[in-house]
Amino acid sequence: MSAYVDGDAEEGRRPAEATAVARERNAAPPAPQRVRFDGVNAADLPPSGGSSNSPGSLADDELVGLAAAGRRDAFEELVRRHADHLYAVILRFTGEPGEAEEVVQEAFLRAWRGIDRFERRSQFFTWLYRIGLNEAKRRAGRRPPAEPLSVEEGALEQTTDFTHAPEPRAEQHDLREVLERAVRALPEGYRAPLILRDVEGLSTDHAAEIMGLKQAAFKSRLHRARLAVRDAVDAYLTGEDA
Amino acid sequence: MRPGFMLDHMFTRRHLAEYLDGELDARGRDRLRDHAHRCPSCHRLVATLVQMLDGLRGLGQAPPRTGSPISDSVIARLRDEPG
Repeated sequence: MSAYVDGDAEEGRRPAEATAVARERNAAPPAPQRVRFDGVNAADLPPSGGSSNSPGSLADDELVGLAAAGRRDAFEELVRRHADHLYAVILRFTGEPGEAEEVVQEAFLRAWRGIDRFERRSQFFTWLYRIGLNEAKRRAGRRPPAEPLSVEEGALEQTTDFTHAPEPRAEQHDLREVLERAVRALPEGYRAPLILRDVEGLSTDHAAEIMGLKQAAFKSRLHRARLAVRDAVDAYLTGEDA
Repeated sequence: MRPGFMLDHMFTRRHLAEYLDGELDARGRDRLRDHAHRCPSCHRLVATLVQMLDGLRGLGQAPPRTGSPISDSVIARLRDEPG
């Protein structure tokens, strides 16, 4: 019996969950907001060169308040904190480094232009990711559709007759390429849930919030996306895609 | 076929997503694993899904970009924006 089944799926998630928790902690510390900046003048705010109130020492929420009051240096700190991670997500989504960079730039520009309208019902980077993914989808919609993986309901039942289980032939490097291709071949509405949850390791709650989906709908899409990618991996492992 | 095999089979398929996300209780996990040990198709399905999830997590750990940080180009564009 394979260790994949014997191994505890819950246990197996822990490194990714820990990474996600660490990311979320880095991006948006859970400490309560110490200062309210709503409705104050930029002139009354901490100076940009101060040591204790320098942007680098502030929580995201505080930086958003400062940025909304016109402090560009505060917004630039948000860029430094979140640009790499957003780029990684968008690159998985688009598969094109140049386009991913443009999407990230556009997402931050839109966030900067709209920062005073950001109501802070969600975390900054939740809002930012939503802007970025929407921009990526908008651009993808202008391209001719590629041959997508099927995520039809019932796919699970169609893919289960594996009484012969050949040994995997993929080395890690090959498997990685297969996964990259399969993720990019998912329809857009299924690609983002899988990237956010399974590649980036965000919690279901957080990923669903970014997608603007209820949990049940998010989980349904995620499961179908997993099965579709799994089929592609399985075809590779059995040599059926050769 | 063992009595209850098909019920366990259906249970496994129905609760697979919860198993993968660590949301299935201990009793459910045991039932699913026990079935996967007996059912070749479920074993294969669960094994490849777990392998796939490991691989997907690995994608997230790889450095996707070399050269200057993406934040540099974003900040440069921001500085062209009217304040």
